Formats: sequence, C-alpha cells, structure tokens
Amino acid sequence: MARALYLDHAATAPLDPRVADAMAACLADPELQANPASAHAAGRAAAEQVALARGQVARLVNASPEAIVFTSGATESVNLAALGAVRACGPGRRHVVTSRIEHRAGLDACRQLEREGHEVTWLAPGRDGLIRAEQVAAALREDTALVSLMHANNEIGTLTDIGAVAGLCEARGITFHTDAAQSVGKVAVDCAVPGIALLSFCAHKLGGPKGVGALYVRRRPRPQVQPLQFGGGHEGGLRSGTLALHQLAGFGLACELAGAALGEEPARIRTLRERLWQQLQAAAPLWRNGAAEPSVPGILSVGFAGIEGESLLLELDGEIAASSGAACSSATGEPSYVLRSLGRSDEAIQATLRLSLGRGTTAQDIDRAASVIVRAVARLRAALPAGALERIA
Amino acid sequence: MSAPATRYSATVRSHFRSLAGAGDLPPAAGAAVSGEAVALDRLAWVRFAVRIDAGRIVDCRFRAFGCPHTLAAASLVAGRLRGAPIDALPAFDAGTLACELDAPAEKMGRLLVVEDALRHLLANAHRVQ
Repeated sequence: MARALYLDHAATAPLDPRVADAMAACLADPELQANPASAHAAGRAAAEQVALARGQVARLVNASPEAIVFTSGATESVNLAALGAVRACGPGRRHVVTSRIEHRAGLDACRQLEREGHEVTWLAPGRDGLIRAEQVAAALREDTALVSLMHANNEIGTLTDIGAVAGLCEARGITFHTDAAQSVGKVAVDCAVPGIALLSFCAHKLGGPKGVGALYVRRRPRPQVQPLQFGGGHEGGLRSGTLALHQLAGFGLACELAGAALGEEPARIRTLRERLWQQLQAAAPLWRNGAAEPSVPGILSVGFAGIEGESLLLELDGEIAASSGAACSSATGEPSYVLRSLGRSDEAIQATLRLSLGRGTTAQDIDRAASVIVRAVARLRAALPAGALERIA
Repeated sequence: MSAPATRYSATVRSHFRSLAGAGDLPPAAGAAVSGEAVALDRLAWVRFAVRIDAGRIVDCRFRAFGCPHTLAAASLVAGRLRGAPIDALPAFDAGTLACELDAPAEKMGRLLVVEDALRHLLANAHRVQ
C-alpha cells in the first residue's frame, strides 16, 4: 500500500530534509559543542550560530533579532506572554480579553490567570469563526492588562484582523499578544504592525524541528513580562536555560526556507485547498466550518452529514492522515470546543475532518484525497438507517 | 489523527471492512420483521431486519450508524442470526459482543445499543410467530 497521504500539517509539518541535514551537521560539528553563553572562543563560535538563527527567525516576522526570545515551542511562548505580561502589570490591571477559540495553551493560561484572581472576558466568535475588532473594542476596560488572540485558528484556519486589534490596544496602552503558530511561515506576518507587543510561534509548524519556538517581545516600548522560569538569565532574563544549538539551527533554516516560499506558496496552497473543497462536493451533504476567507491557505475543516468520525478515520486509515473534530483540539477526545463555539452540535462536530495542506502537498495528492474521502463517506452512508442522514448533521 | 492500528481487533476490522449484511432485505417469501435502537448521545443507531419463513430466519440485514465496533457488532449479529431457528436464536448481549470483538470498556454503551436493537427485533419476531 502507498504511504498514507499526509494532510495534517496544522498538527505538525514534516521536517524539511534540508533542515534535518543542517541540524545533524550542527550536532556533529566539533566547533559547535560549547555552551553559547560561555565567554571562551568555542562558546563565542556557538553564540555566533545562535545569532545567525536569531536573525533568520527575526527576518521571517519582520522583527529585530534582539526582539526574539527562544523558547521550547509555542505553548511555552503563549504561557510566557499571557502569564508573564499580566503578572507584571500588578494589582491595578486585572482584566484580560481573549476568545473561546484559542489554542489550549492560550485557554489554559487564561484559566490560570482567573485562578490567580484576574478577570477574563471570553469573546465568542460568530458562526463564521471570526473574532472581530469591534468585539474587542467593546470588551476593553480601564483595567485591561492584556488582549491575547490567536492570529490563525488551528482548527478552522480563520484569520483574526490582528492589525485592527493591535491598533485598538496601542491607542489604549494595552499589551497585545497574538498566538501566530498557525500563520507564521504560511502568510506574511509583520511584527512591525503598530500595537503588536508579543507574538508567539514555533518551528515545527513550518518545517522545523519540534521542541523549539520563539516569543517576539517588542523592543520599544518594551512590554513588561515576568519570566516563568529562573536560572542563568538567558534570553534577556525572560527564559533561562542553555540554548539547544542544533534546534536553533533547524528553526533558523526552516524560517529562512519558509520566508523564501512566501511569495508563491500561499496562493498555490489556497488553490489546492479550494480544489479539494470543490471535489468534496461529491460527498454532499457536507458543510465547511468557519469562513473561507480571511483564512490561512492550508486548513479546511469539513463535516459530513450522517458520518461517525471514528468510523471515517478508520475508513481512511492507511490512506490519509488527518485530524477529526473530536480529537484535534486536545488529547482527550472531547468534542472540539472551537466547533462548539461556532454553534455546531456534538453530532456535527464528531463528523468533522480537519484537512491541512502543506509545502509538500500536490494537486495529485488532493485529487487522490478527495477520491478516497468521497468513497469512504459513500460506503459508510450506504449502511445508514433511514433518516440518519438528516438527523446527524 | 489517524485511527491507531492497534485499537481494533482483527474481528472488528474484518466486519468493518466487509460490512457483510448491510442493507435492506430483498423481496422474498416469509414475514419481514425489524428491530431498532437509537442513542445519538452515544453516537449509535442500529436497525436489524429479518425474514422469517417456516420458523427459521432465512435472511438478516442491518443498517447502522456508529463507531467501528458498533458496525462490526451489527454485522456479526446479522451473520449469526441468518439461518437460525426462531425458537433457538443465539443469545447476544453487550458483554458477549465485547468479548467477541475484543472491545474496550468505553465501547459498552454503544454495544448496548446493538443489544437493544436485537431485543426489539426478537420481541417483534416472537409476536409474529
């Protein structure tokens, strides 16, 4: 049997072979074995490698290298941004604005802030999955410390107008953080947009290694951020811990490669996604979760009437690797809270498939995927009791 | 995520792949009887239909919505009922189905729906007799 078609790039993108080579070379290089924080010549050589990676990462998001804080991934970046920024504000500013469709990292960090006595306003998306700047404006208060909204949603791909939200925050002197793990390297992301104070992203969504990410921390004016861990004062005191040189080498190159592909790749991926959506019409009745636009190019969340999600995944097993509505939000298998926020029923949520395309996806892949999915849906529907197709949607 | 290969027994996979007995009864001699159970909160809906002729189930078909274990259980039951004398039908409950399919404990709720559909069918079948 041919290798399963990988349509789960939103969960993680395959490591680019060029990145793997660079990481292996870094690990094996006898000149790069020292601690980058050491003052001796070997340490300085390692520090140069860190500086190279920092520059590559910074360029992808139009930031200065000094504004990049390396972390273990987007989850840590989001936690550092949300917890760190609000805790640093002190007792006068105890209010946070976020949304119900954030990644679990953002949701759980804000729940922790609630436990610490902060008040959180949870914005609900429209049925199109969009959080609008007007909602944010209406939620802001005198004591708002932080607005934290994801740029691209990881389940439905919709994009928040972070420029508009950042502008609102800028005008009120409120720190704005965005979780851009699903958008960096997929669409142009510009940290120089006025009002963006903090921006989280990671390597493994854009062809880099797992276990490394970054938090952009604006230089001027620099938002107050309290560190979450303490040690050697690395990364400007915000993230202590010896830097993993090979991870950073991989992250840096992955960012460079993603940046080089930003010219044409988003349009190509978007065209493929719409081709997939059109071909899936052969499996109607079906629905699309979230607005088609504005969105990142590679994510298509689609539900099929009368389909039980686990059976669909088994039907596709070995042919397509994708995520279900039941499982892609967490490791618990609970129905997706993102889709529930859009007003979907539990039956509709579990009948959802998230298909996410990436750099390696071809038109042939899309045609094959559509054919496999249409066939699988038809086979399962052929066994349905009368009336099930109408009731399970 | 992809469905993990180790989550389903060979029996489940075999029935799921073939869905033998899925569909409607073809026209034939004898009485057609059905039994159904629906529990959408458990994502399970099962309907059995049998044709009874001369005190024997001469054909059995099922229709089902549910997880692979639900579909496999319905297929397994349909296969066993076919040809069975109405007075000596094989006994199936959720526990025996779970054993036969090597189903995990969390699937019991769904297998109970299969059991309920079967009970409904048998009650209707005895009424016809």
